[in-house]
Amino acid sequence: MRSQVTGTIAGTPTSARSRGGRAAFVLLPFAILVIAFLLVPTVSLIWGSVHDTKTGTLTLNNYSYLSHPLDLVPFRNSLELSLASTILGSLVGLLIAQAIVSSRRPLIQEIATTFSSVAANFAGVPLAFAFIATLGASGLLTRTLLGSGIDLYSGGFKLYSVLGLTVVYAYWEIPLMVLVMLPPLQAMQPSWREAAEILGASRWQYLRAVAIPVLMTPFISSMLLLYANAFGAYATAYALTTGFVSLVPIQISNLINGDVSYDPGLADALAIGLAVIMALCIGGRALLERRSTRWLSR
Amino acid sequence: MAYDPLLARIDELSGAFTAGQIDRRRFLKGLVGLGLSIPAIGVIVAACSSAAATPFAGANSASMAAGATTASGVDLTALVAAAKAEGDIYQTGIPPEWVNYQAIFDLWKSDYGITIDGTATEGEYSSGQELDSIKNTGKPDVGDVGISFAVQAKTQGLSAPYKNSFWADIPDTAKDADGYWCCNYWGAQAFAINTDAVKITIKDWNDLLDPSLKNAVGIDGDPTKANDSFFAVWSAALANGGGVDNIQPGIDWFNKLQQSGNLTAARASDANILSGEVKVAIKWDYLGLAVRDKAAGAPNIAVTIPATGSLASPYADIVAAKAPHPNAAKLWQELIYSDAAQLLFLKGYAHPIRYNVLNAAGKIPADLAAKLPSADLYKNVTLVTDITKITAAQTTLAAGWKIVINS
Repeated sequence: MRSQVTGTIAGTPTSARSRGGRAAFVLLPFAILVIAFLLVPTVSLIWGSVHDTKTGTLTLNNYSYLSHPLDLVPFRNSLELSLASTILGSLVGLLIAQAIVSSRRPLIQEIATTFSSVAANFAGVPLAFAFIATLGASGLLTRTLLGSGIDLYSGGFKLYSVLGLTVVYAYWEIPLMVLVMLPPLQAMQPSWREAAEILGASRWQYLRAVAIPVLMTPFISSMLLLYANAFGAYATAYALTTGFVSLVPIQISNLINGDVSYDPGLADALAIGLAVIMALCIGGRALLERRSTRWLSR
Repeated sequence: MAYDPLLARIDELSGAFTAGQIDRRRFLKGLVGLGLSIPAIGVIVAACSSAAATPFAGANSASMAAGATTASGVDLTALVAAAKAEGDIYQTGIPPEWVNYQAIFDLWKSDYGITIDGTATEGEYSSGQELDSIKNTGKPDVGDVGISFAVQAKTQGLSAPYKNSFWADIPDTAKDADGYWCCNYWGAQAFAINTDAVKITIKDWNDLLDPSLKNAVGIDGDPTKANDSFFAVWSAALANGGGVDNIQPGIDWFNKLQQSGNLTAARASDANILSGEVKVAIKWDYLGLAVRDKAAGAPNIAVTIPATGSLASPYADIVAAKAPHPNAAKLWQELIYSDAAQLLFLKGYAHPIRYNVLNAAGKIPADLAAKLPSADLYKNVTLVTDITKITAAQTTLAAGWKIVINS
């Protein structure tokens, strides 16, 4: 679910007309990729979502979930979970990334980057089990805290809830934030700060007038990436909660795999809802990235 | 048991474990390394553990000979001779590591010396694949299928009628009146209780509502997807005014359990039971018994059958309509319903279809009975074989379960 292709083509100078043909040829594999994995699925999703699963007739009934409060619970859970884990992940991730850059030690930077890439991809059943063993009702940390008088579970915390999942999602959201924020932080020129200091700016003035405006766009675009990443995640949540915390991706999977509740039409309609949210995030990120490259390309 | 390239590797590991070449730890690590789900591993390990054990004491063909004298009129001597002349039996969907089949294979070979084929290629076939193989290859003589597929095999003309010598012992709901299929073993819904962590006595569904069981009770998967937890919800209906015809009280009861804060979202998988995350697991008895053995006291686990409601789901045996070795196929039926093979199923913790009869006749050895929940508890177990009722219950559950998890 990582968007690795955003913002690479925009702004490429087309210097000579004769190159146009060759460029089109070079782009052919990419075009095939986009058609096969983006356009075709999208069209088939839209098609499926406006047809009745059983009769095959044209209908908007699949979208009637939008008016059923119970069917919107998965969307509410997914939105809450993604928002909370994005905020937690991006703030902590930013602080860690800044600490890594400030350390100015290549070895630490190397180790931190490697660790982050591993942790950002550690998900699914192993991660779920690691958290059950740590923060489950009889997890190591839960029991240790209980020994010192803090009862997490009677205090309202539950690993198998939106709050619990937020903590789990932060496990890969934080390192992902570190990975995506390291390049812009490293691109901050020391000369900007020197120039500001020579002009008599205080530390706060430098932050407010230079650093924050420059970093704001990559930061927000990274947050959008984290958000989309959390919204589409499935395996970890399912392994952890057996479907008890209903999230949109889990609902979709139930509708297409379940022996019991097989309804691909409704699954398509839910997927369209999911796709709209994802498209907003990734589109927003692409727009912002275009702006930030102005400042941060060396 | 869907066909998968992984299965080759699983077979290899299971084989090594069963043959004693690797220990349980390495076996488990190997299975986990394949990315298998914990329940799947539970089943494999349970089945292999039974297979790894020595053949059942006293299992011999003597009990079969007794069967030949029953009123069904099967001439066993002639059947054995005809089967031996065919010299071969081709089985589909009958893996050695499942419900102690390996020991039954050994019994077959020592009694009749007839070659068993198909195990390596089709042993792991799913029920659907078994029917496809019977239809398209014409090779299989016998198959072990889920109950709905047994019914389907009859309607599609894929199975042949045969009534084994023990036909009278088998409950009417567990056999086709015309003999086109017959259930051979079943599992019933049970509670696997971590007695180190649970201080109260649990005998029935409503005991699970006790306030001391916060976040302690788990089911084996999402009931809209997993058969095990689907039967857990359905069984709860029996205890709360519903029944095989009405699953709704079961859904309502689970909603009550959820509201009480006792139902945990942690799956009643082996790992979660062993770690104490799930303190009362509602799941098939054979899986609960297997995890109890696996735990070996760490933690202590007791398995019981809920007193007022437990449903059982059976597997059925079919003889292929165009079996190339029809006599061997019939002889296989005679073997698997015989006392000796039925007790081998029980040793693999699958309850044989003649369990109540064997129990009443005092044929269940005391050391085996001691490993199982009391036979009295099984008297109220209800076998579900009516496909239309299963479908109806699933449909009701699909709508009702949303309320349990979302409200």
